[in-house]
Amino acid sequence: MQSREIQILNKHGLHTRPATAFVTEASKYKSEIMLEYNGVKVNAKSILGLLVLAVEPGSKLMLITDGPDEEEALEALHKLVKNKFNLE
Amino acid sequence: MTVKKKKGIQISRGVVHGPVFYFEKGQLSIPRHRIKEAEFDAEVDRFLEAVRISKEELTQVRDLVLDHLDEDHARIIDAQMLAVQDEEMVKSVKDMVIREKKNASWAYFDVMDRYESMLLQTLSDFFQDRTVDLHDIKKRVLYHLQGDKSSDIPKITKPSIIVTEKISPGGLINIKHNMVLGLITKEGGYNSHAGILARAFRIPYLSDVIDIEELNNCSEIILDADNEEILIDIDSDDVHRYTKRIRNFQKQRIQIITDKVASATKNGEPFHIYLNAGFVDEVKPLNPELIQGIGLFRTEYLCIAENKIPDEETQFQAYKSVLQSMGNLPVIFRVFDFGRDKLLALLDMEIIQEDHVFDEWGGIGFLLENPDILKTQLRALLRASVYGNAKIMLPLVMFTEELRQTNKMLDNIRKELSRESIPFSQTIELGAMIETSSVLDELDSLSNLVDFFSIGTNDLALYLIGSGRAVDLTKNYYHPKIFHAIKKVIQVGQRVGVPVNVCGEMASDPYALIGLTAIGIRSVSVGTSALESVSKHVASMDTTQIEKLADPILKADSPASIYSILTQYQQKDIT
Repeated sequence: MQSREIQILNKHGLHTRPATAFVTEASKYKSEIMLEYNGVKVNAKSILGLLVLAVEPGSKLMLITDGPDEEEALEALHKLVKNKFNLE
Repeated sequence: MTVKKKKGIQISRGVVHGPVFYFEKGQLSIPRHRIKEAEFDAEVDRFLEAVRISKEELTQVRDLVLDHLDEDHARIIDAQMLAVQDEEMVKSVKDMVIREKKNASWAYFDVMDRYESMLLQTLSDFFQDRTVDLHDIKKRVLYHLQGDKSSDIPKITKPSIIVTEKISPGGLINIKHNMVLGLITKEGGYNSHAGILARAFRIPYLSDVIDIEELNNCSEIILDADNEEILIDIDSDDVHRYTKRIRNFQKQRIQIITDKVASATKNGEPFHIYLNAGFVDEVKPLNPELIQGIGLFRTEYLCIAENKIPDEETQFQAYKSVLQSMGNLPVIFRVFDFGRDKLLALLDMEIIQEDHVFDEWGGIGFLLENPDILKTQLRALLRASVYGNAKIMLPLVMFTEELRQTNKMLDNIRKELSRESIPFSQTIELGAMIETSSVLDELDSLSNLVDFFSIGTNDLALYLIGSGRAVDLTKNYYHPKIFHAIKKVIQVGQRVGVPVNVCGEMASDPYALIGLTAIGIRSVSVGTSALESVSKHVASMDTTQIEKLADPILKADSPASIYSILTQYQQKDIT
């Protein structure tokens, strides 16, 4: 299991478009991928779960990956978040 | 007893009195029953199949959106596609079916309901409008789960005032409109398709009404859209007070036009005032003795009515019926103009149109890229042409080449029809709408290929000034760029003998109408609601005086100065 703290840098937080990008990327991996925010843990492959988190701009979350490709998944998703989901 | 009043925002004017027909958002009737253990697997499979079909449909929608709109809008569909097959959601539904023995529709509805309320709770200011509209997705999956294809359409048994949260354009049109006395919604907009249709059918409509649930228990109400009020708990005295206004409105509603439309100005100069229309039912009650013809028949409304592109026979019957009710008067059929908003209406999707990015897509360009659609329509129009005085108009023309291609297609269809011994009019006229900036440079070559020009001022303003439709366009009418562009079209038209008409909201604006007349326009096409006032204005015009305004208008350097020239003239004219 791998985990890393990530920060949402987007102007509007983790709204529909970045969440869509995140779930699409996460779904490429076999590992279980979770996001923890304010004590709530959700499946990062579920867009509804991510949207319900309503992550505001600047917030920090814990990204947790667990499975055969957990390292690659962690790196790729962290990169996506750092690059503001390639949206801004 | 005192009458209770509710307020709202007027979308379509009028006064009516009648019973309430209340229906919940989308009228999703969810069959709820417990299932047996032996049915679990089959029920779960049924659910997964509904999800699969919904996802497939959304893939098609996405392709359409990507082809014809942009990546931004496609991303909205991406989010919907992820949500429709969300693995946590699917897991919860399966769990609920098995643990609580609920049938799939019930379980799915409950799970989605929970997500919806959680999303609603999390909506902070910046999250608003940035989340997925789950309602649409839910509707789609439930539709496939139930296989009851009519669940979305409210079944009204007697003429009523419809009260609902929000109404889809498909929903409105599907309601046989003589059953709808009035409309009251919580959400809606002036330029929503429901709003446009309500005005077209003269159905009083108030939107932004709060606590509409309160109306659920009312048997009869008065909807006074003119004063933006709804009267509940009414008695016979209240009804009596309103009788005269309600009757007057009914009269207007049936006999849309009561006076003969002016055909000349005060000083005797001929002036044409045509009508804009979009529905067969809108044209039928018109008295051809009183009007001069249809200057713009928006054929894409047939698609909204059918929620698909109608086949040749359906189109033929519609065009024939319009031509027959107009006698020998000209009817200008504009071929399908699928702009961004119309595409969305067809797909029954609600995407927020806040962006002012102008879409290049639509009009004749789109039809030429989809020749099957255009060919079917032109065949239907040619076949119908023997029943009256039909003309064909091409929207959003950008290049002369588009006219050449259309003419070629028309020639082929004529040959085809001759071979099949189907009669058609040999003299059907073809016109181009002038509403893009690029076509302004091709007017000379274009004029050789068309029989008339029609200036679409709404889109022209968008192209030349570049503001979105959401912004109040009235101010744009007075822009010097608009007047110069129109003057250019008039000059080319006069040189080669191609008549020029103006259709678009600009012609309905009394000040702008004077400006148009000043620079040489003598033919306009307006909506039914503006017809009477435009007719009165034209009848009172003295073109010898108005023409003196041409110079100052064309020399003016700002919308404000044009506006002041026109308003000052109007004031002098009145006093």
